[in-house]
Amino acid sequence: MESTRERTVLLKIAKKKTMISLTLILAMMSCRDIGVEGGRNDNEVPSFGVALLTSGPVSDAGWYGSAYEGIQLIEERFGARISHQQTNTPAEFDEVLRAYATSGYSLIFAHGFEYQDAAVRVGQEFPEVTIVVSSGGRVADNVIPLIFELEEGSYMAGVVAAKMTKSGTIGMVGGVAIPPAEATFVGFEAGAMSVDPEVQVLVNWIGSWDDVAMAKEAAVTLIRRGVDVLIHNTDAASFGVFQAVREARESGVEVWAMGMNRDQNDVASEVILGSAIIRIPEAFVQIATLWSEGQLTPGEAHYAGGRSGAADYVVNPNLSDKYDPELIAEIDSIRLGIADGLIAVPRIEFLERAGGSF
Amino acid sequence: MVESFSLVVFFGAAIRLAVPLALAALGESITERSGVLNIGIEGSMIAGALCAALAALKWSSILLGMVFGALGGGLVALVFAIFVLGLNTDQIITGTATTLAGLGFTGALYQARFGMTGSVITLPVLRSFEVPILGDLPILGPIFFQQSVTVYLVYLLIPTLWYLLFNTSWGLELRSVGESPEVAEEAGIRVLLVRFIAIVSGGLMAGLAGAHLALDSGTFIENMSGGRGFIAIAVVVLGRWNPVWIAIAAVFFGAASALQFVFQSLGSNLPFPLFLMLPYLLTLIALSGWFGRAKAPAALTLPWPTKGR
Repeated sequence: MESTRERTVLLKIAKKKTMISLTLILAMMSCRDIGVEGGRNDNEVPSFGVALLTSGPVSDAGWYGSAYEGIQLIEERFGARISHQQTNTPAEFDEVLRAYATSGYSLIFAHGFEYQDAAVRVGQEFPEVTIVVSSGGRVADNVIPLIFELEEGSYMAGVVAAKMTKSGTIGMVGGVAIPPAEATFVGFEAGAMSVDPEVQVLVNWIGSWDDVAMAKEAAVTLIRRGVDVLIHNTDAASFGVFQAVREARESGVEVWAMGMNRDQNDVASEVILGSAIIRIPEAFVQIATLWSEGQLTPGEAHYAGGRSGAADYVVNPNLSDKYDPELIAEIDSIRLGIADGLIAVPRIEFLERAGGSF
Repeated sequence: MVESFSLVVFFGAAIRLAVPLALAALGESITERSGVLNIGIEGSMIAGALCAALAALKWSSILLGMVFGALGGGLVALVFAIFVLGLNTDQIITGTATTLAGLGFTGALYQARFGMTGSVITLPVLRSFEVPILGDLPILGPIFFQQSVTVYLVYLLIPTLWYLLFNTSWGLELRSVGESPEVAEEAGIRVLLVRFIAIVSGGLMAGLAGAHLALDSGTFIENMSGGRGFIAIAVVVLGRWNPVWIAIAAVFFGAASALQFVFQSLGSNLPFPLFLMLPYLLTLIALSGWFGRAKAPAALTLPWPTKGR
């Protein structure tokens, strides 16, 4: 009897201790989430607040870092008050969006497909706030998907890959198989097929955007399978792909890598032929401009692609001697063809109106 | 030809992916043998990766990278030990906090050093080299003996730890502290000292695992440990706290990851998370006790000295 009571008391104490410790942990987690609060120190009153949510570190020199550069540009051009937070779990998505919406941030960039549902939920609560979801698939009056037509850049990369391959096998290392990422690979494959319908395209998804070790091993496997031009669509994990290519070249296998998302040509300039890019900062500024002029169409996705120069393929100047002059000319004409709509790059449609089909 | 090619590719990848798991799990098994469950080794691992990257960057030396990586991991484990042993805090909660603090702190340091939007750091890289004679063996040679130095380090650690655990008085003391600290204390063993050494050793090895991650991929990025610290804890369970089985279990987890790449590059449409699930399924089966004894050290996670004494 006595011991049971004692145990109950101990249990209660233990529970209380757990609660305290959990609170501490949560406090620590939220400390980590606090980004750098921007804002200008001069006397000018900030015109409006622009916030950014990312689910990865903005120190990736890639997808997230470009978004941060985007809001920095907006701060510079418009004198906007900017803020950034990194969310770690889906449970935080709604909370952080709501926190920004209630503290005067009227334009919020939720930088990733993963935010689309939270954006629609919070958007309904705060109709006066505009939420832009990068690669988002759901539309509402104040929830605007920002669709990067990266498949146009990767289509051009596919053309280059098919021209450069000697083995007739090219490969792709992907992060998480979500529609926007799959779309870039569909574009890459179509570009390669347009040159040589016989070319073999192998894919390896690693299930993560920034696991360098896994990306490296996926690339090694593809290279051993005969792939000699390798593109990726990951985030910081891409360094693993480049490293694998570098090591393969050192051991005498002729392999090339290609960059994606951002101009990565200088990341490993001796092995990267070129990069399929989207100009994220410029697209952010464009959206901010339209938004501040009241020109942003409510309830419609905003496309950033070849037409506006937001999607492109950039040749690595270091390796431009590897390109046939004819190939360079061909890239230029494909770029024009895409912008004029003469070349139809296959797409994956994933837009959906909130609360129903689109 | 194609078959042996696939075998070599597959097992070679399995071994490489197993290395960080094996290093961390071997270290964790020492800690757990002393009756302490350190789920903070993910924090040690990421600290090890950052310290290794910074040292390798500063001195362009793989060796110094590994030394500082181990020290970084040991330092994080030291903090864990101070709380768990000195203040007798709950091991699970302290371990969770250690992991989160480790991930947060390394991220903050990295951003402070390399800027908010990051810059790619390029480090000297671990080179694979061939062991004379053994490396020439057909199939086995390229799989086991044409690897980087960390792989050979694991080969050395397995028998060393096995000998230390089961054939030395230190091993006996360690195990008795993990089974029954009360009895061990009666026998004149300094329980807290034994546990302290076990925790810090585990941290050093988790740090080495992190150093391997950074020096193998030639860069550091935030959160690059990617949950491997937690997988290592599952590896310890599947390996039944025995160095030999732990190494085999680590290869098994590595093989599951390698399998997904081989299958995908062969053009298979099987959903790849299926392969990643396999080793966890086995871990659960190992824990169920249906196939022999998979018993954790009896005093694992229990506070000591017992409250109220």
